[in-house]
Amino acid sequence: MGSLFRSEEMCLAQLYLQSEAAFACVSELGELGLAQFRDLNPDVNAFQRKFVNEVRRCDDMERKLRFLEKEVKKDNLAIDDTGENPPAPLPREMIDMENKFDKLETEMKSVNSNQEALKKNFLELTELKHILRKTQQFFEQIILTKYKKNNNQAALYQQDQETHVPQQYDDETPLIASEFSRSFNRFGFVAGVLMRDKISAFERVIWRACRGNVFLRYTEIEAELEDPHTGDKVNKYVFIVFFQGDQLKSRIKKICTGFRATLYPCPETPQERREIALGVMTRIEDLQTVLNQTADHRRMVLSQVALNIRVWLIKVRKIKAIYHTLNLFNVNIEKCLIAECWCPVVDIDRIQLALRRGTELSGSSVPSIMQQMQTKENPPTYNQTDKFTSGFQAIIDAFGVSNYREVNPAPFTIITFPFLFAVMFGDMGHGLLMFLFALYLVLKENRYMKHKPEDEIFKMMFDGRYLILLMGLFSIYTGFLYNECFSRSINIFGTSWNVRAMNFTDNDVFLATNPVVTLDPNKPGVFRGYPYFYGIDPIWQSAENKITVQNSYKMKNAVLMGFAQMIFGLSLAFCNRRHFKDKLTLYCELLPQLLFLCALIGYLCMCILYKWSVWTVAQSNTAPSLLIGLIDMYMLTDPKSNNRVPLYTGQYQVQIFLVIVTVLCVPWMFLSKPYILYKRSKQKKGVRLDSQSDDDVAILHHENNDANYGKQEPESFDMSEVIIYQAIHTIEFCLSCISHTASYLRLWALSLAHSELSEVLWSMVMHTGLATSGTSGAILSFFVFWFFSSLTVSILLVMEGLSAFLHAIRLHWVEFQSKFYKGEGYIFSPFSFTLIVEGKVEE
Amino acid sequence: LNFVFFIYFAVNTSGFLEGLVRGFKNGLSKEDYRHLTQCDTLEDLKLHLQGTGYGHFLANEPSPLTVSVIDEKLREKLVIEFEYIRNHAYKDLATFLDFIKYSYMIDNIILLITGTLHQRQLSELLPKCHPLGIFDQMETVTIASTTADLYNAILVDSPLAPFFKECISEEDLNEMNIEIIRNTLYKAYLEAFYDWCQQKGGATADVMCEILAFEADRRSIIITINSFGTELTKEDRAKLYPRRGKLYPDGLLELSKADEYEAVKRVSELYAEYKPLFDGTGNNPGDKTLEDKFFEHEVTLNVNSFMQQFQYGVFYSYVKLKEQECRNIIWIAECIAQRHRAKIDSYIPIM
Repeated sequence: MGSLFRSEEMCLAQLYLQSEAAFACVSELGELGLAQFRDLNPDVNAFQRKFVNEVRRCDDMERKLRFLEKEVKKDNLAIDDTGENPPAPLPREMIDMENKFDKLETEMKSVNSNQEALKKNFLELTELKHILRKTQQFFEQIILTKYKKNNNQAALYQQDQETHVPQQYDDETPLIASEFSRSFNRFGFVAGVLMRDKISAFERVIWRACRGNVFLRYTEIEAELEDPHTGDKVNKYVFIVFFQGDQLKSRIKKICTGFRATLYPCPETPQERREIALGVMTRIEDLQTVLNQTADHRRMVLSQVALNIRVWLIKVRKIKAIYHTLNLFNVNIEKCLIAECWCPVVDIDRIQLALRRGTELSGSSVPSIMQQMQTKENPPTYNQTDKFTSGFQAIIDAFGVSNYREVNPAPFTIITFPFLFAVMFGDMGHGLLMFLFALYLVLKENRYMKHKPEDEIFKMMFDGRYLILLMGLFSIYTGFLYNECFSRSINIFGTSWNVRAMNFTDNDVFLATNPVVTLDPNKPGVFRGYPYFYGIDPIWQSAENKITVQNSYKMKNAVLMGFAQMIFGLSLAFCNRRHFKDKLTLYCELLPQLLFLCALIGYLCMCILYKWSVWTVAQSNTAPSLLIGLIDMYMLTDPKSNNRVPLYTGQYQVQIFLVIVTVLCVPWMFLSKPYILYKRSKQKKGVRLDSQSDDDVAILHHENNDANYGKQEPESFDMSEVIIYQAIHTIEFCLSCISHTASYLRLWALSLAHSELSEVLWSMVMHTGLATSGTSGAILSFFVFWFFSSLTVSILLVMEGLSAFLHAIRLHWVEFQSKFYKGEGYIFSPFSFTLIVEGKVEE
Repeated sequence: LNFVFFIYFAVNTSGFLEGLVRGFKNGLSKEDYRHLTQCDTLEDLKLHLQGTGYGHFLANEPSPLTVSVIDEKLREKLVIEFEYIRNHAYKDLATFLDFIKYSYMIDNIILLITGTLHQRQLSELLPKCHPLGIFDQMETVTIASTTADLYNAILVDSPLAPFFKECISEEDLNEMNIEIIRNTLYKAYLEAFYDWCQQKGGATADVMCEILAFEADRRSIIITINSFGTELTKEDRAKLYPRRGKLYPDGLLELSKADEYEAVKRVSELYAEYKPLFDGTGNNPGDKTLEDKFFEHEVTLNVNSFMQQFQYGVFYSYVKLKEQECRNIIWIAECIAQRHRAKIDSYIPIM
């Protein structure tokens, strides 16, 4: 029995670790990843545990590293990934690491604040530059229009401000018109920049707060500016407000600060403006060089970080995980930590080796001790998987983790799952596409393993690549059986039907009047006497009654396959009973179940096979219906009395016998087990009394141990509970025999749906292209092909594939596993660095 | 028919958001509070909060922690969650969520005006504003010197404009006036919110009107108690009472006549809901203050709102409960930081 068949044997072990060796030992165990530690201080708060300070220091280091990583990412530097897996550093190295990270963080922060200050400066200068340029435009524009419309100054304002014309200006119009440039001196103005999204609110507030006594102009800065703090690109506006009087000025300034506009001094004459602009330009250039230098310095620091950060992160995570684990240990004894862990029995040697290595590494003289413990608790379930089996195990675990040492259905699922899927998805072409897709994933596996795919759906398919590979392979196989490739049949071995033997002549009246002819296999020579070599004869492709024939065939097939799988499930239950030495259930539950299923469904299957092999074409007119036969069987009617042809001689007697067996199985299942349990509990009470009187403690002790082995027997025996439990199970099983068999008919239904859908797609889409002749036909076929292929992938492969997949899952979870699988265990989650570093485990 | 309505609600309005809120609501359990009160330092508090729904919200904060950092981060978390919901909401729910924001806007405006009155710098005041109540024109309120100014220049464009109509006057802004503005705004806001919920109908009205009515009554009672010994006249005081609570109209009439605490108590005790709140309150050590009692009652109402599905009350209650929870955490954090453990247990438990 391989390890796949049942979960690993586990044992609970106690570790005594010297306090100085504990860190190294746990580190070694973490690398090994084979021990699941139990929390020995469940009622101690997280912050009251012993190593909480160390955990906190790790948290702090992680925070610093995260900060550095963020900075590295901000600069678009590639983080070096050598795939190196450094061991957890010793505790004394932690201080070094802390210092190093601390230094880096402070350096980074100072570089950042420097850069921010410089950038802020730079931003201010750029804004000033834009202000000078834009305001220049404002002034020029106004003067220009003034010359054009010399005597219509009011109209100018009208244009600029539309309806917002302040009444007051009208009085001053002549004055402005006469000497416009000087009149500006009478107005004060304020210029600044503002965020784009605030400009409209700003305009409105200014208008309202100043009662319209101001004149606002604004325009957008085309270039995007960089926010020095966040580094985001922002759009800003330059604005200029003209006003009169000091009161308005202070008011406008307040509004500007309210809107976080930055104000800049802007001289009034063009000459001064030009001078300042020149000064600003040179300062911007100077600043640019300084900025570049700072950026270089920053890049230098960061590239150093980028080279090492991955290794550092792994180291810190490992230390943190170790201290988390140490927090689970019992620390009540001086100089010694006590840990309890579950581990697989076969790997005890490796764990002990790891402990020894850890002890040596720490230089401790006292060895660490590992000792197995007796326990009544249920051990965790540990199924070893590799990249091939993990997908299948995941399907099983999604339903429920198996009980400890229960038969694991995963190895059988490897074959039955793709097979049942393929029965519903039988098409050579579709299977091939699916196979190729999975093959691609499998071949590119190493690349995707290294760079984990981000896309969740893709990741799911990638995890199940071997499953899809097998599904594709089996679909090709069943497609071959159904003789379907994109719904077309392929004639490889030559059909077994011979139309010529029907003896039609060219001018036959029958042929001329009937569009459809029937090939009669009863006529000599029409059926060649031997079937098509493999799968379904391609001649059915052109037959009118293809669906009818295939339905009957696939339906019966589904029942046969269902019965086979259910019987297989019961035989696995037999393995379970044997393994747990549960003879009572074996004889009182499993055996009647097996008989019941065989007598009911097994007999039907036998009839199907018998009818297929014995009844021939010649007798087809008189062949009995199996369905009517089954009904008659339970009505206890003799087929002869209804003038029906029996399937075989002695059918009535056999059937009566089977019905009696079926009926007898029910009370057997229902009553025998509770009765025996009742008897036993009575007996036990007697024994207990006896043993007490005899002082025979040894026997009692022994018995208790036995009782606790497989299932924990309840201390007080409650007859009504047992009976109800048994009744429910009996009824469930009897009903499920029929409903589950019917449920297997989905194999037929989905396969029918799939072949019909692909048939429709071919005849409605591809056929129209191919049926058109000439050049237009070629062009049409070209376009139709794209349509056809995209529909094939999206509907037939993805949608139909998903539905067949779901149904296959259901058949396994419900119909198959309900026969033997409990699935009430809990999974083994070892303390393993690989999982922690990959971030698969939440601490 | 109800079923159809539920599906309509779930698909068309806010099924997704309601689910989200119910998830966000999952707060600290009794056990968590017990652990929190046992913490010795703020670092311990952080460590423990990591294990709760708050997760790693403090993970990027360097040590040593301060209470203000925790407060800021808690608030930030609430705001992020709320804004997420607000951004996904539309139609009625969006209006509803905006109503929730208005109360914070009122608080912010009042805070800024009071601050400017006391010659504080804007940069000093802004961090104290609640981020949920920030709006474009908010920071310009400092330019206003009269209430009419305030309305005409600034608030007329803000969503608060409709609530402001009642308090426009040419009077200068002074301490007393600001209090009156605050309460008038609140009154108008509560009435508008109440009427909106009423008009919305259904379970939303059932739940929200209950909560808002309590809110209105609480304000009336507190205004009355706080007005003793000030120059506020009884007529002015009566104008500030929100007229949507259970006290309206008779209770409010009585309240407006009250001129001592006992009188308020007498009036309130006529109402079954409020009688227990006044029992056992006092200023003796060990007694709960009336304020705490009000908070407790509010929490109960809000928790009850989660009992009903397919209504907007959960969004309101979620904000209020989260706020209460943050207040509790901050209370505990303060107690820890100031080593004042005697009162650490007097947070408001959320059931």
